[in-house]
Amino acid sequence: MKTSNRELLDRLAAEYVLGTLRFRARRRFERWLLSPQVGALVKAWEERLAGLEPHLPSIAPPATVWRGIETRLKLRKLGRASVTRYLAIAASLLFFAMLGVLAVRNWDETSVTPPVQLAATQKAFIEENAETIYWRVELLGDNRELNLHVQQVHELPPGKAFELWALTASGTPVSLGLMPTTGDHHRVLTEAQRAALSGAKQLAVSLEPAGGSPTGLPTGPVLHVAPLSPA
Amino acid sequence: MNRIDTLPPEIELAQLLQRCAARDSAAFKTLYDKTSPILFARLLRMLRRRSVAEEALQDVYVRIWERAAQFEAHRGRALAWMVTIARYGAIDLMRRERMTLVGDDALDEIPDESASDNTEKPNNFDFCIGQLNDNTRKCLTLAFVEGRSHDEIARLTVNPLGSVKSWIRRGLLSLKECLSSERQTT
Repeated sequence: MKTSNRELLDRLAAEYVLGTLRFRARRRFERWLLSPQVGALVKAWEERLAGLEPHLPSIAPPATVWRGIETRLKLRKLGRASVTRYLAIAASLLFFAMLGVLAVRNWDETSVTPPVQLAATQKAFIEENAETIYWRVELLGDNRELNLHVQQVHELPPGKAFELWALTASGTPVSLGLMPTTGDHHRVLTEAQRAALSGAKQLAVSLEPAGGSPTGLPTGPVLHVAPLSPA
Repeated sequence: MNRIDTLPPEIELAQLLQRCAARDSAAFKTLYDKTSPILFARLLRMLRRRSVAEEALQDVYVRIWERAAQFEAHRGRALAWMVTIARYGAIDLMRRERMTLVGDDALDEIPDESASDNTEKPNNFDFCIGQLNDNTRKCLTLAFVEGRSHDEIARLTVNPLGSVKSWIRRGLLSLKECLSSERQTT
């Protein structure tokens, strides 16, 4: 299908925002959101149809929802922990330290292993060609963590950022965050990112406004698509 | 049920989102406390089942936390941005799982006219939506508010699928034309 057909694209954008595209059509269309043109059509429809948004009486969700979010995002580490929580953490650290001492005592000295480091399971090179590799991306331990190494500096226009995407099996790009412009970076992936990576065969890098895509999907041009391969 | 009569101020939500972008988990909790009853009600309206809506709500806030840096205060309203994330999340789930959650009573709950307070309406939206015929307006509302598919709308409104599709297509076009012509004249 030619994406130059503006009328058709506009109709699809309307039904995408309205929600009436079937699952596969929705996924296909989301791939076209990579184009700023299509992104603008969607944004315009979101604004047009905003008037249909109903005003509903609020309903408080149960407390388990927030606890689930905290666990998924590992927020407890970031938030202000109570004294009892610190004590609990200290107690469990002590417990594991003691276990460790006992375990090491029982081992032959040569069998003591270094702290567990997640092994790289997949990698991708974001490159122009074989001579010009910008980033090396490594996925560690069943997509739990991500290493980013800047190999060569990629020229970045002012006010812009590079954003990394997992191209999922269903075709929807899922953001893996912004690309560093220097050095080595390590980040822990969220459950949603892990899920996206589980069926992904490719990564992509798009050019976005500083701070990243405003829509959660690529809005700028896709500069690079790289296959994921076993590390 | 906890009714919140006044919506949280936009500027406050935008500031909270900016703090979330800076990984401030206390701000995220405040944002959650202020907005989750609104988004939960919105998700329940589409997904119907509490357990499904609760799980979807978790996904929505995980996404909000992850994408907080992508919210641009000058480009839109914070609550509308979050509601859109919730709505797309629910639609994705419904289309993927082909969830059919529609009860016989679903139609009675659909107001004939939109009653939007959460989001900014385009100029003359009420006039333009009023120009559409009842069938078209009902189809658009069932799709947008309830997240219903073409097939479900056809079944619910007891109309042929072809008619539903064509009403929706023409309704969207008319709405666009009306809103753009009204915008030009205002």
